[in-house]
Amino acid sequence: MEAYFIAIGIIALIYVILSLGLTLQYGLTGLINFGHVGFFAIGAYTSALLALKGVPLVLSFAAAAALAGLAAWPLGLVSLRLRDDYFAIVTLGFSEVVRIVITSEGWLTNGVQGLPGIPRLYEGLGGSAAQLAVLVTVLAVTLVGTWIIRRIAGSPFGRLIEAIRDNEEAVQALGKDPARFKIQVLVVGAALAGIAGAFYAHYITYIVPDQFIPLVTFYVWMAIIMGGVGRVSGAIVGTAILMLFLEGSRFLRDIVPGVSEVDMASVRIGAVGLLLVLFIMYRPQGLMGDYTKR
Amino acid sequence: MSLEIHDISKAFGGFRALDGVRLTIETGSLFGIIGPNGAGKSTLFSVVSGFARADEGQIRLDGQSLDSLSPPARARAGMVRTFQVPREFRHLTVRENLMAAAPKQTGESLLGLFFRPGRVREEEGAIAERVNETIRFLKLSAVADQPSGKLSGGQKKLLELGRALMVEPRLILLDEPFAGVNPVLIGEIMERITELNTRGIGFVIIEHDLEALTRLVPQLAVMDRGKVLAQGAPQAVLDDALVREAYLGGVS
Amino acid sequence: MFYAQLLVNGLVQGLVIGLAALSITLVFGIARFPNAATGDFMTFGAYSALSAHKVTGSIAMGGLAAIIATGVISLLAYLAVFRRLAERSVVALLVASIGIAFFIRAVLGVAFGHSQQVFQVPLSRPYVFGSVRITPLDLQLALVALAALALVFAILYLTPIGRQMRAVADNRDLARVSGIRPDRVMIALWLLAGSVAGIAGMMLGIKTIVTPEFGWEMLLPAFTAGILGGIGSPVGAVVAGLILGVVQEVSTPFVGFTYKIALAFIIMLAVLLVRPRGLFGRLEGAR
Repeated sequence: MEAYFIAIGIIALIYVILSLGLTLQYGLTGLINFGHVGFFAIGAYTSALLALKGVPLVLSFAAAAALAGLAAWPLGLVSLRLRDDYFAIVTLGFSEVVRIVITSEGWLTNGVQGLPGIPRLYEGLGGSAAQLAVLVTVLAVTLVGTWIIRRIAGSPFGRLIEAIRDNEEAVQALGKDPARFKIQVLVVGAALAGIAGAFYAHYITYIVPDQFIPLVTFYVWMAIIMGGVGRVSGAIVGTAILMLFLEGSRFLRDIVPGVSEVDMASVRIGAVGLLLVLFIMYRPQGLMGDYTKR
Repeated sequence: MSLEIHDISKAFGGFRALDGVRLTIETGSLFGIIGPNGAGKSTLFSVVSGFARADEGQIRLDGQSLDSLSPPARARAGMVRTFQVPREFRHLTVRENLMAAAPKQTGESLLGLFFRPGRVREEEGAIAERVNETIRFLKLSAVADQPSGKLSGGQKKLLELGRALMVEPRLILLDEPFAGVNPVLIGEIMERITELNTRGIGFVIIEHDLEALTRLVPQLAVMDRGKVLAQGAPQAVLDDALVREAYLGGVS
Repeated sequence: MFYAQLLVNGLVQGLVIGLAALSITLVFGIARFPNAATGDFMTFGAYSALSAHKVTGSIAMGGLAAIIATGVISLLAYLAVFRRLAERSVVALLVASIGIAFFIRAVLGVAFGHSQQVFQVPLSRPYVFGSVRITPLDLQLALVALAALALVFAILYLTPIGRQMRAVADNRDLARVSGIRPDRVMIALWLLAGSVAGIAGMMLGIKTIVTPEFGWEMLLPAFTAGILGGIGSPVGAVVAGLILGVVQEVSTPFVGFTYKIALAFIIMLAVLLVRPRGLFGRLEGAR
């Protein structure tokens, strides 16, 4: 039972890191990033591949963050001057292309067979002690991430990205170039997603392209919309609900006889769809309330 | 020292919104532009401030060519515009709106934010001082800490003026500062503009409200169908036969 | 002559993309958001056609089922969701369209299972022109697509409601003041957009294998064709779809089968950078 809660805790914190990045990008800046899972995937594969080659995990994690951030940079350069809706399509397309590349370049990524045997963090500790150590590490990184996002939100930089979200042309009229800010936001959010991906890879120890479908992006969207867009606390609360939902659906499958995993996957995706629609329609400010009163 | 608008033309599809507009405006002056709806006034502002590209023509500010500059670069060159429909940062308070407008902030770079926190704090203090002055000057103290989205139309116009001031420009382009504003506040805004002008800040003002504008500016231009019909002192311009025909024909 | 064969294959594929892009460009031009549920509308059309085909044995009945059922689903999505979000920001509409996409996919997954399904169409000898082979099936599909396009264009250009739709796409405010009733236009729009996506889905289903995910994978090429053609331009969408279909086929020997979608993405980026209003687009740009 304890092991179960530790496992849930680790996965939940990985999702919190993902939603911190999206909170910065969408909640504060208004960037409609529909390709979050792409950066998550880049982080996961980068760290996994390096670790399998014997690179120390500290370095492979750093590389995961760096490469995910680096991937965001050219994408931002070409797409950040586009209108919001076009940006959403482009990022969605980007994450699909990342998955296609991972699937196709078998010489590097082992294609659809995926990468098995990714080394765990703290393998030397063994068993439950290692699990606990992983949990503590993810928690520490989450706290640092939370501190960074809060720090940014409360700073002159944060003030300006919120201004960009409210009216981009007015920001330009005041002599500031929104693209310069948006690209930094995109890179920081992507780097966070990259770190989340590295944790994921080394925790699950086996990654395949199918784990990085757009559904993951929209899990994170669901979390921040449910929690309340633009609030760091909202990202955390939303992720907690998301985990309850994901685990609950798994639990349900275990107790209801005759429900296959693919059926449950369908039910899960349908519920995500329905929740997204219902929240957008009836409670766009999320459960935690309107972020203007932050 | 002047803003030179040289033979600017701009067409949307087949419609010539601006047709060879030529104006020279002293940078430190108060200058009005009037004209009926669709005369091209707002398009002229968009082109001058860089939000729309001219098809032809050049724009210079105090001798510096602006043609290749982006809208933010033009603002940094000393010329800030406001918008016809106010574009407040609606989730930010009045105070935050003004602080966001202050130029060259170290805390607006992530590196500066995390590696020079002392300097950021210092600058924030200085900016807060200036913001307080601006708030007092514009008499917005009562709403200083309210989300700007909740302000009245007139207060939003004042806030836009305040944000423009924070950039410390030499020239401010005001797009219909009196539209939708109650008469008491119109007087207030006019006073502020006059006072700022005595401190050396120039204004170009697009206005519909002919009466208010003629009280405010010593010089104005009349536009119609993308062209400047006449330019000069208000009375002289309004007496111009062409203007009477094109613009006031329906009115008088 | 190898390329002539690819060209023919590409044209058939291009008609599918073109139809999907037509659905997207109509919605984007008139309702003003990129409808991410278009791919799953296609899937819905494919399963509708598949069911009707199983029962009746007739492809024509399948097509009719795809048109009607997908048109109705699309209209329902509008009435239940998109209409109520009309005054909200584009992100609300976008997220809602993703939600609807997921929901449709889930319903199809539960109803039809996840095993691959195919249309049982009789194999027949291809027509041979020199070294180019065209199967009767491809020819039929092309004819169906052309008939569907002819019908859509007839509606858009010859009927009063079609003219109103184009007027709204051109200038919404102007259309409103000239007395066009937006409600009727929107209902016609969503019926039409759904039906077109449904037909596209059936065609894709006949050409390939039907799964609950297969329409979603057409979303990117369809968006690309919509943008390349110029958002709001029905002719542009079809032309761009054909171009994209041919480019994808002809490039397959060089970049491989799996990179088709990546290629569409690169083309989309290139268009957005170089000519955001596309081939036939109007003034309103992507920036």
